[in-house]
Amino acid sequence: MTKFIIRRLLGLIPTLIIIITISFFVIRVAPGGPFSDERKISAEVLANLEAKYHLDDPLIKQYGDYLLNVLRFDLGPSFVYKDYDVNYYIGAGLPKSMLIGALAVGGALIFGLGAGIISALRQNSVYDYASMSVAVIGISVPLFVIGPVLMYIFAVKLDWLPVAGWIDTLGWSALVLPVVTLAFPPFAYVARLSRASVLEILRSDYVRTARAKGLSMPMVVLKHVLKGSMLPVVSFLGPALAGTLTGSIVVEQIFRIPGLGRYFVNSAFNRDYTMIMGTVIVYSAILLLMNFIVDVIYGFLDPRISYK
Amino acid sequence: MAEKIIVEQKPDSTGKLSTGLAADVGNLREAQKGVSLWQDAWRRLKKNKMAMLGMVVVGLYAVISLSAPILPLHSYKYQVLEHQFLAPSLTKNAGELLVEQEIGRYRQQNEAFGVEGLTEQQEADLVDFRDRMATETKVIDSEEVLLHERRYLLGTDNLGRDMLSRIIYGGQVSIMIGLIGTLVSVFLGTAIGAISGYVGGRLDNFLMRVVDILYGLPYMLLVIIFMAILGRSIANLFFALAIVSWLTVARVVRGQIMSLKESEFVEAARSAGASPFRVIFRHLVPNTAGVIVVYTTLRIPSFIMLEAFLSFLGLGVQAPLASWGSLVGDGVDAMIPYPWLLFEPAIVMTIFLFSMNFLGDGLRDALDVQSKNKM
Repeated sequence: MTKFIIRRLLGLIPTLIIIITISFFVIRVAPGGPFSDERKISAEVLANLEAKYHLDDPLIKQYGDYLLNVLRFDLGPSFVYKDYDVNYYIGAGLPKSMLIGALAVGGALIFGLGAGIISALRQNSVYDYASMSVAVIGISVPLFVIGPVLMYIFAVKLDWLPVAGWIDTLGWSALVLPVVTLAFPPFAYVARLSRASVLEILRSDYVRTARAKGLSMPMVVLKHVLKGSMLPVVSFLGPALAGTLTGSIVVEQIFRIPGLGRYFVNSAFNRDYTMIMGTVIVYSAILLLMNFIVDVIYGFLDPRISYK
Repeated sequence: MAEKIIVEQKPDSTGKLSTGLAADVGNLREAQKGVSLWQDAWRRLKKNKMAMLGMVVVGLYAVISLSAPILPLHSYKYQVLEHQFLAPSLTKNAGELLVEQEIGRYRQQNEAFGVEGLTEQQEADLVDFRDRMATETKVIDSEEVLLHERRYLLGTDNLGRDMLSRIIYGGQVSIMIGLIGTLVSVFLGTAIGAISGYVGGRLDNFLMRVVDILYGLPYMLLVIIFMAILGRSIANLFFALAIVSWLTVARVVRGQIMSLKESEFVEAARSAGASPFRVIFRHLVPNTAGVIVVYTTLRIPSFIMLEAFLSFLGLGVQAPLASWGSLVGDGVDAMIPYPWLLFEPAIVMTIFLFSMNFLGDGLRDALDVQSKNKM
C-alpha cells in the first residue's frame, strides 16, 4: 500500500512536467507577446524589456531556467502587473478559489448522497421526483446560466443575498450564491449515481441476508448500503473535481470573486506569459493531487482493488 | 428476442380464431424474418416519450437554424442605435415603444417638478416625435424601409440589434460547433481507437499511454490557453476543442473492437483475404456503430456547453457573430435593468440541451445491448 502511494506520488511529477512543457511551448511559439499589444514602443525599449525578462535567450535555455525556477516554487515576475510577482497573486487568489471549491464539492457530496439515498429508499415518492428533477437541471443547464439566474432571483429581485463580491466587504453571505451555483453539477451527478447504486445494492444478496438475520433497515443502510453506494460516487469524484475547477473560473467571473480564475482569464487575455503558466501549474497540481487522493480512498473502500 | 416478437404480435385481423398451432407457425415465420438492430432500437425509442419529445424539439431547432437565411428576420448584426434595449413585444413596433419611453421620460421629469400630466410644449414635441417615428426611413440592405416600423419580438440588445435573429443565428453557430466538433472528435477517436484495438501490441500500448497522459491534463485550461494565444476565431475553436475531445471515443471504440476482433466473422473476412484496413472499417467499425451513435448524441450538448463556456468568458466567437454562450455572457452584464437579454438566450439554450440529453439517454437505452433485457 505504502509502496503504491509513493509510486503514484512520484508518477505525478512527469505529468506535471509534461503540462508545463506543453503550455510553455504553446505560449512561446505563438506570435505576439505581452509587449506587442501596448502602445508603439521603440525597438531599444523593447530589447531592454526582453532582456530584463530574459526573453532574448534561446528558447531552450528559457525553458530550462523556467523549469528550475518552478522546482524552487518560484513562478517568476508578472509581465503585466509590475508591483508583485506571480507567487503573490496566486497566494492572494488561491485561498478564495479553494474555499468556494471545497465548500461546493463538500456540500454536493453530503446533499447529493443524502438525496440519492433517500430517493432510492423512497422510490417514486414525491421526494424522489423532486430531487431527481433538480438533478436533471444540474446536468443539463450550464453553470453560467444557473449562476446569473440564481443571482437575478435571490440577489436582484428578492434582495436576500449580495449580488457580487467577497467576504471581506460583504460577510459570509457573499459565499452562498457562488457555492450553490458551483455545487449544482456535482450534486446532480452524485445524487443520480448514489440513487442508482443504492437501488442495486438493496436488491443484492448480502442485504437480504442481513435483513433475514433481523437487522433493522436503518442499520442495514448504515452498515452495508452506505459503503457500497460510495464506490461509484468516489470514482466520479475525479471528473467532478476537474469540472468544479473549470466551473470555478466561470463562477468567479459571474460573482466577481478575485480568485485564481479571474487571474487566469485576465492573463489569458493580456498574454501575461508567466501568470498563465503559474495559474495552469497550480491548477494542474491541485487536480493531479486530488485525483491521487481519490484513487487512494477508492482503494480503501473497495477491497477488490489490489495495488500490485 | 424471438419471444418478445411473439408477445407483441397483434391478433389475427381476419377475426377468426385461428388454432394455436397455426398461430405458432405464423409467429415462427414472423420471427425468422428477424429485426435488425436499428429497427429494434427504433421501436424501443418510440416508446420513450421524453426521448421522442427531445427528438422533435431538436428537429425543430435544426429546421429553424437551417432556414434562418430565408426567414423574415432582421440582420443579426445591423445596429439601429436608437432602438437600444427595446423590450420584447409581440404587438408593438419599435416606434410605438419609443413613444411610450418618451412619454414615460416626460412624466418622470414632470413628477420631479410636481407637475401633473404633460405640458403643452411636451405635447407638441410628442406630435413631432410621433411624426418622425411614422415617417423616418433608412436604407437597409439596399432597401428603403420605415425604420421605426421594425418589430422586435424578442427585443433588442445594447446596440439595437434584433435579439430574435441574434438568438437564431447564434444557435446556428452553437449547433454547428456542436455538430462539427463532435464529428471530428468521433472520426479521430474511432480511427485511432479501432486501429489501436485491432493491431494491438506495442502500437496499442503506445497509443493508450498517450491517451492516458492526455486524460490527465486539465484540458479545459489548455483549450483556454490555445484560444488566448492562437487568436479567437471559429477555426481555432474547432481545432482546440477537437484535439482534446477524441480521447473517450478512442477508449470506448478500442474496447469494442478488442472484444469483437476474435469473433468468427472477422476470421471469415480475414481468411477471404480482406486487408486489415477493410476488416477494421468495413467489418468491425460498423459493428460498433451503436456505441458511436450514442456517444455522438451525448457529446453534442457537452460540446455546445464547452463552446458556450469559452464564449461566455469572451474567448470564443467574436462580435458581431454570436453564439448562445456569448449572448448569455452579454446578457449577464445587462440583466438588472434588461433581464430579457439574459433569459431569452438562456432559455433557448437550456431547452435545446435538455432535449439533446433526453434524446441521447433514450438512444442509449434503445441501443445499449446490456440494458436490453431489463426493459
